[in-house]
Amino acid sequence: MESVVLTGEEARGEAVIEACKQGDREAFRRLFERHKDRVYSVALYFFGGDEATAADVSQQVFLKLFTSIGQFQGESAFTTWLYRLTTNACVDEQRKRRRVQQFGEGEELREPRGRRTQEDGLARAEVAHSVRRAVAALKPKLRVVMLLKYFEEMSYEEIAAVLGLSKGTVASRLNRGHKALARRLGHLRGGLVRDEREG
Amino acid sequence: MFARHYKKHLSAYAHGELSPEEAARVAAHLQSCAACRSEFEEVKLGIRLAEALPTVAAPEHLWEGIEAALARETNREGERAPQTRPLFPSRRRALIPAFAAVLLALAAGGAWLYLRAQRPGWEVARVEGAPRVASGRIGDHGRLRKGEWLETDSASRAEIAVANIGEVEVEPNTRVRLVETRLTEHRLELERGTLHARIWAPPRLFFVNTPSAVAADLGCAYTLEVDDAGRGLLHVTSGYVALETEARESIVPAGAACMTQPGAGPGTPFFEDAPEPFVELLAKLDFENDHASLDSILAGARSKDTLTLWHLLPRVGADERARVYERLAALAPPPAGVTREGVIGLDRAMLEAWRASLESTWLGESTPAIRRVWRGLWR
Repeated sequence: MESVVLTGEEARGEAVIEACKQGDREAFRRLFERHKDRVYSVALYFFGGDEATAADVSQQVFLKLFTSIGQFQGESAFTTWLYRLTTNACVDEQRKRRRVQQFGEGEELREPRGRRTQEDGLARAEVAHSVRRAVAALKPKLRVVMLLKYFEEMSYEEIAAVLGLSKGTVASRLNRGHKALARRLGHLRGGLVRDEREG
Repeated sequence: MFARHYKKHLSAYAHGELSPEEAARVAAHLQSCAACRSEFEEVKLGIRLAEALPTVAAPEHLWEGIEAALARETNREGERAPQTRPLFPSRRRALIPAFAAVLLALAAGGAWLYLRAQRPGWEVARVEGAPRVASGRIGDHGRLRKGEWLETDSASRAEIAVANIGEVEVEPNTRVRLVETRLTEHRLELERGTLHARIWAPPRLFFVNTPSAVAADLGCAYTLEVDDAGRGLLHVTSGYVALETEARESIVPAGAACMTQPGAGPGTPFFEDAPEPFVELLAKLDFENDHASLDSILAGARSKDTLTLWHLLPRVGADERARVYERLAALAPPPAGVTREGVIGLDRAMLEAWRASLESTWLGESTPAIRRVWRGLWR
């Protein structure tokens, strides 16, 4: 019989999920702390920097997660399940808020106030700001694969599982997303090179 | 002949999502297809930009709303939250701060060691003497992690395995740093000294930063030297290398060389078997802005020196460009569709078309003479 060997991290993750299933509030909190920034970031970028909507959607995601975690059987990766909840919540919210203007159609991107974990210099912050604007301007179906790839570092297969797409479609959408970013932000190439030279 | 393009597969290729067979086919295709190479550059830029997308921290109040909703849910179900027993009995609580401090120190030390071990890096082998990585001597083998310097003294040499795409020999008195290593980019910084690189990967995956230009591998082998003043000399022994800054690019084929200097960037490439006076005049034009040397350069140009003349076209004024055009056209007439007006107007497509027609003549072998010229020029 084939045995499954878990890494320490996986085993701790499974223990936390089991504790959540038993209604352990501290375990809920730990699960929340582990995933909150990435869930919030996906929602924030999905809604073009709208912090209030991103916070609402994030709360919905975690409530749904905690109230239905008993149904999680471990047949898929937990993160696949979580991000399926997240993208579904984003899409549902967007349907409800059809009047919300898409970024790039007249409304300025709202600059997130949260602590930024990767910005430590003005040039880098400028690049990050431009990329945020460009990602927000992508079509939603391209934007969501980019967010899953770059926030959750998912493989193409995992993204395909979350979104119910084929791996080829994920590859094609990422390809289009990358090219759209490059065409829109080609003028930043020099800044990236300078940044890399400075290490 | 109809070649299959791989434009739709380039992101998957860059992310390592293709099978080894598919990846090999794409790599081979990229070597020969300029259109797909250009598209690959675009995709890689898109990836680098996306990697700059920052995660935003969730607001502090998020949990409060969730907890309140969970509490309402719990009350509705008439459930009670489980009571938890204190971890420490009261008489032992006074020891908690000291215990916590010890744990914190252990955790911090462990985390530092863990993070250091997790940093990506390349294997380094000692060839001779006592090379040092991050100021510490390595044995016969060591590891150069991202951000660390490898240094050789006058009696030591080392060899670096560049991920799985090539190798770099580091000569004595050299200081080199690993700047980046990831699927889409591998980058060293050569502060001073000499390295020999052999790369067997698609173009533009391996780069070496120098104080005045970046050497971008286009599928090749080369030697790069940087002196204490930051001046560089590139010799290409196989394939092509681009020596570039934001403002200027020199394409250097096998058998050719190119100098570079802080403040000026890459000079004009030339074949290493060019006569020494030709190279000296070119250096004066490139780095001393001595345009009086242009006519002598044009007069001394041989048929294979179209490499030099083609690069000079955008680097001189319009009047001088007309003279360069005449000499270049005399040595190698432009192909159909490339006009004098277009070239003098720096029409990009025409310049590229002419370059493509000249490439077959840009073959040559290196000679040690040029090393003497290069050193002599800076005295």
